[in-house]
Amino acid sequence: MKQLEPVVHIVDDDQSFRTAVGRLLSASGYRVSLYESGDQFLTQSPDAEPGCVLLDLGLPGLSGLELQARLAEKAPLLAIVFLTGQGDVRTSVQAMKAGAEDFLEKPTPRDALLEAVERALRRCETRRLEQGRLHALRRRLANLTPREFEVFGLIVRGKLNKQIAHALGTSERTVKAHRHNVMEKLGAGSLAETVSIAERLGLVDATADPLRR
Amino acid sequence: MEIVGRIPRVLILYPYDERIAATTAAGEAVRTRLLDATNGKIDLFSEFLDLSRFPETKHVGRMAVYLSAKYADRRPDVVIALGEESARFISVNCKDLAEDARIVVAGFSRSTAEEIDLPKDVIGAFSEFHIVKTAEMARGLQPEARNLFIIGGSSEFDRSWLATARADLAAFSKDYETAYLTDLTIDEFTKRAAEFPIDSIVLALTIFKDRTGRNFIPREAIKQISKSASAPIYGPYPTYIDYGVVGGNVVTFESLGMTAANLALDAIAGKPISHRESPQTYVADARQLQRWGLSDKNLPPDTVLLFKEPTFWEQYWFVTVAALAVITLQGTVIAGLLIERRRRRAAEIESRRRLLEVVHLNQSATAGALSASIAHELNQPLGAIRSNAEAASVILRSARPDLDLIEQILVDIQDDDQRAHDVISRLRGLLKKRGEIDWQEFDLNDVASSAIRILRGEAERRGVEVSSNRASRKLPVRADRVHVQQVILNLAINGMDAMLDVGGTERRLTLETTLTKDSEVELSVSDTGRGVPDEQLASIFQPFYTTKPTGTGLGLSIARAIVETYGGKIWAANRPEGGAVFRVVLPLARTG
Repeated sequence: MKQLEPVVHIVDDDQSFRTAVGRLLSASGYRVSLYESGDQFLTQSPDAEPGCVLLDLGLPGLSGLELQARLAEKAPLLAIVFLTGQGDVRTSVQAMKAGAEDFLEKPTPRDALLEAVERALRRCETRRLEQGRLHALRRRLANLTPREFEVFGLIVRGKLNKQIAHALGTSERTVKAHRHNVMEKLGAGSLAETVSIAERLGLVDATADPLRR
Repeated sequence: MEIVGRIPRVLILYPYDERIAATTAAGEAVRTRLLDATNGKIDLFSEFLDLSRFPETKHVGRMAVYLSAKYADRRPDVVIALGEESARFISVNCKDLAEDARIVVAGFSRSTAEEIDLPKDVIGAFSEFHIVKTAEMARGLQPEARNLFIIGGSSEFDRSWLATARADLAAFSKDYETAYLTDLTIDEFTKRAAEFPIDSIVLALTIFKDRTGRNFIPREAIKQISKSASAPIYGPYPTYIDYGVVGGNVVTFESLGMTAANLALDAIAGKPISHRESPQTYVADARQLQRWGLSDKNLPPDTVLLFKEPTFWEQYWFVTVAALAVITLQGTVIAGLLIERRRRRAAEIESRRRLLEVVHLNQSATAGALSASIAHELNQPLGAIRSNAEAASVILRSARPDLDLIEQILVDIQDDDQRAHDVISRLRGLLKKRGEIDWQEFDLNDVASSAIRILRGEAERRGVEVSSNRASRKLPVRADRVHVQQVILNLAINGMDAMLDVGGTERRLTLETTLTKDSEVELSVSDTGRGVPDEQLASIFQPFYTTKPTGTGLGLSIARAIVETYGGKIWAANRPEGGAVFRVVLPLARTG
């Protein structure tokens, strides 16, 4: 899949530096895209493409950390590797907590740089695959009838068929048929798998019972 | 005589008027001696009888009546009569004018006194002439002399004088070929005088008349003779001095006055007094000594040498002493000033050394504060160089290396190396330690620009927008460039610190340079911080005064010390639109 080849985005206000890093990564076989500011990156980068961002922490204007927060919403797949000319423990901890893949100091040796880029791209790939699976699950979830959705909700809460029939005011046999359809439509082979899918889709919440609205 | 309960009174009688020098000089000598001896505790009266102009008997009578009436209530204790006429006057009028007073007469010889027939109780200070003493003086000056000439006139007085001299000089003249020149006309005197052998001593007595009966004032005759004389002439009268004689043994007016005054003093003191002879004095005319080649070393001791050409020292001693005193004083003042100057210079050097040290500490502190941004600025080109080099090595290992790209990479590496070098040299300039102020003339605009370059990284890091407004013309200033840069850095960092808790887009630092007057340049640094509370505007320049938790309170005080060192001023104000502005004024360098 040619269009999915990852891109390494380099955001650094220092033209000389971003060009040099760009050349290195390019020579090392990566697709590279260069930006001089966070704003330029937000407006020009394609959202869905896989890749990673090499981000200068000390950008003028939109700072590295601010850009990280914006990207978490706009392009959550992109893994971020921070580059900085000035080591600063507080800022790096903040960046890592916000989900940065790595934190490198300039000047960075090629091996460390490539390793970090590689790891970031793998992280992106992982996220992309996970996202793909979720998209598939959501599509299957969309195939459920409203009644089946209700039954699914109660199954993953650990309710027995009898309790479900009572709650929905129907027969236990009908519930059994719905339950079979649900597991088939979601591609789950067991109750445990069904619960796991619900969790991944964010439908199980310990504090809120969706069925008690 | 006894004087009780009052100071004594002395009346001095002058025979003529006050213009006649001889009696006036003698009278002055009397006055001086009396005043000195009594510390001024004496009443002195002077009366000029004016008998040369009014010799009439009527006048003498009127004077006697007048003076008797005048001194009726203040009878003099002593009357000093100067000269023969005064002596006659007082002898006659003593009873009316000064009963009980002691009378002292002075200024004529004992033989004259006998002619006047003075009352018994009148005491005289007589003047006598000893021609031998004058002759001895001449012998001392001319030890080689073999001839002796004595000159005298044809009047009765002249003849008697000659007779006296012949007797007095009998012994003295034995050692010489002696000739008495008398009974000659004035022309004959002059002619003979021109023929005197050089080894001759000539003694002049008096010439009131010459052989033809022509009258002379003796000294005028002597003057005429001396003009043509071929040998030195000596005479026994002080009045001959300055009329061509070398000198002689004479009674001076001072000596006469002194003797008369001493007699008066003794009389006042109640001591018995008797006739005295006024001491004679040797006088000599230095010009005549020179004329005849005679040495003043051969003069008798205590000779009064007149008309001596004063030596430079004698002539100008006061001026010389005054000049020397002034020079010494000036020298002392100059030396004092020099010492003071040295001390002040030493103190100035010491204080300057301290300033330089403090500025250096300040520079180090600034470098520390900027270290994060400096590291960033340095790592940027270093990172680029590393990545470019690694990229190049990867490219070179590929099957078909892109050599154009390699070349571009090498150019970029050189550029970044230069960038790193620039950062290092700016840092070096920032840390440069001064042992002495490096005076130089530079454009204030350039220093403002270089300060901005140093600060750019830090400003970016802090999200501060830095802008500058440069004057359109050059602003030459004479100072140490690094110091002025440090002032700007201190003010700028101070401004950036003031904007820490201001929203990101509102942080603006503006540097402005202007020519305010013909002779002054101004640099201002304004920020958009909270400003300075009005009551602190002055105290913020005090050392250790700080409002910042991490401040040392030295930045602004050092800035002020530097600015004042270069003859400038620094002050702070709040801007109406918010924030503070710091202004520095420095003198414009004249050559600019």
